[in-house]
Amino acid sequence: MSSSDIFDVLNIQQKSKSHGNSASPPPTVSASTTSKAPKPQVTGMQRELYNLLGENQPPIVIQPASKFKDKPTTTTKPSPWTNAGFKANDHLNLHHWVKGSKELIGEEAKESSYSKFNIHLRIPSFEEEDYKSFMSINNNSNEESTENAVSPSKNDNDDWEYQEVDYLFQLCRKYDLRWFVIHDRYNYGKSRTLEELKEKFYHVCQCYFVTKSPNDPLLPSLDFPKEKEIERKKYLQRLLARSAAEIAEEEALIVESRKFEMAAKKTLNERESLLRLLDSPNSDQSVSQYLTSQGMSQLYGSLLSDKSRKRKHESTVPENPWMKQQQLFALQRQQLQQMQDKKQETQDTNQLKKTKRQKQEMQAAIKRKAETVYAEHLLEHFSPDERKSLGVMVHGEKLTPGVYLRSSKISAFKPALQSKVVAMLQELGLSATPAMPTYDVIQRHEELLKRITTLVDLKKHLDKLDAEKAITK
Amino acid sequence: MPISASKRVKTLSVTRPIVYGNTAKKLGEIRPPNAPAEHTHIWTIFVRGPQNEDISYYIKKVVFKLHDTYPNATRTIEAPPFELTETGWGEFEINIKIYFIEEANEKMLSFYHHLRLHPYYNVSAEGPQKPNDEISSVFYDEIVFNEPNEQFFKTLMSTPGNLLPSNKTEACVFSKQLEQEEIDRVNLGIKQVDLEIEELKTKVNKQLKE
Repeated sequence: MSSSDIFDVLNIQQKSKSHGNSASPPPTVSASTTSKAPKPQVTGMQRELYNLLGENQPPIVIQPASKFKDKPTTTTKPSPWTNAGFKANDHLNLHHWVKGSKELIGEEAKESSYSKFNIHLRIPSFEEEDYKSFMSINNNSNEESTENAVSPSKNDNDDWEYQEVDYLFQLCRKYDLRWFVIHDRYNYGKSRTLEELKEKFYHVCQCYFVTKSPNDPLLPSLDFPKEKEIERKKYLQRLLARSAAEIAEEEALIVESRKFEMAAKKTLNERESLLRLLDSPNSDQSVSQYLTSQGMSQLYGSLLSDKSRKRKHESTVPENPWMKQQQLFALQRQQLQQMQDKKQETQDTNQLKKTKRQKQEMQAAIKRKAETVYAEHLLEHFSPDERKSLGVMVHGEKLTPGVYLRSSKISAFKPALQSKVVAMLQELGLSATPAMPTYDVIQRHEELLKRITTLVDLKKHLDKLDAEKAITK
Repeated sequence: MPISASKRVKTLSVTRPIVYGNTAKKLGEIRPPNAPAEHTHIWTIFVRGPQNEDISYYIKKVVFKLHDTYPNATRTIEAPPFELTETGWGEFEINIKIYFIEEANEKMLSFYHHLRLHPYYNVSAEGPQKPNDEISSVFYDEIVFNEPNEQFFKTLMSTPGNLLPSNKTEACVFSKQLEQEEIDRVNLGIKQVDLEIEELKTKVNKQLKE
């Protein structure tokens, strides 16, 4: 075998050799085969690219890459684990893996570390004679204490035999008073409800402990009201069995009731304000007491205090009734004092007590009084009739100076109220504006308007009360 | 106290009654020469004293603002009688402005009067209406000068301008009699309202007790 054969096999061309073996056909053949084989379909630019790469390029670049992480390089020794046996309970031995060598743990099966949580209830056990004795004692005492009113549920329990009770207690012991399991496993010929089982158990326990330790404070806790329990379960069942529609309806009702509560609160407030309206001093008292400057300032003061009282009332915080009373007393005292001052004309001492604002008011009033005196002085040689014919009058009030039409000073109200007032006036056969708006007519007209607004207000409140009554019905 | 021209007399008011309104008549055969063809009524708007007394001692001029369709819609009357006669075919609001004499130093008074050309009542119900019936729409009001200045006060005091006839007459309806009637009517109304208030109060109290 020549080297050219090897080269041929390996598809390696050697120019130097080819020169020497020009006669031999294999290199040309091999060249033609190599050029033919890899690129039969490659044309154009790609072929040029392949030409640039030259021959003998590696087919795929293989990189040594492992899919797994490096092996952990820990120096610690693996700790030994042992499949050791343990006692699950008296009859059963089980095995589990425990950390530690076999020597450390030892051969014999140990108690499980969780066994301390495996606690059983201590349920009393008794013999038939004991049972009969303490049951009879207890029943007797029961009958003595409640001679006539022996509850029927107790009487129904008479069909319980000792054997059945014993069976029940065994089950209770076995299942640790898990009542649903007990009821499920209960199989003593008769079918009993869960509540019956419970009642019997607690009743017997109670009797047992009464004879054993009658002064135990925990004794009443052994009462089991069967009827209540049944009722409770019924309620719960009904609560859970509600459909979505029923739940929605219930919620809507709750919202509704809350609305009613709110409305009731509101109406209560309104009623209170109405009561205050009814209590307010009647307006048909003569205004003559307010015509003097003293009267004006008094009115001003009382209105001011009235306003503050109202504001206090609106706050939701309940106030001390005694405080309220005291304030009332203080107000009354103040009024009384003012009356006395007015009588005695002790202005100087009075002024000292007044607040700054009231002082200013007082001064303005005094000034106005002086002006009134002056105006009166100007008119002193006119008789009342002459004054009337001259159209002059001393009103002594603080009004903006200037000219106006008498009819333009008729008081107007909010649109809603105004329409009601006008309707009322029409009902009375009067026009909205008097045909002759003279001073006297306007005075009376204003009085009438005031009454009408009171009337409208009262009507509104009455309607509201009616509506409220209809709701509560 | 010194008396100056601009000082106001405090806490005192002077009242002057006035009557304002309009009369209207259908245009008959005789038409004013310059009246447009579509005008059907001739009317007069006026401001005067209740008994036609002189009011020019405190009123300087009266300005009537007519509907914009009239030529020179703003008409000023500078001397008594303060009235204006025009022709027209429709009703509208006339703005009346009363200007007071200089020494009064008061702002003018502005108010409206609805020009009425047609009667209030139903014609058929009241029987056949004569074509020449005069329609009038007259209102009584009082001008109140609150706290007039000293000088104007003197002027006002010089004339007893608040006199009203004691009885109703054809020429002047606005009288003490009418005033008394008005007062009586209002008093009656008050009485009635008071009764209703009492009734309602007892009702409310009853409701509250329940």
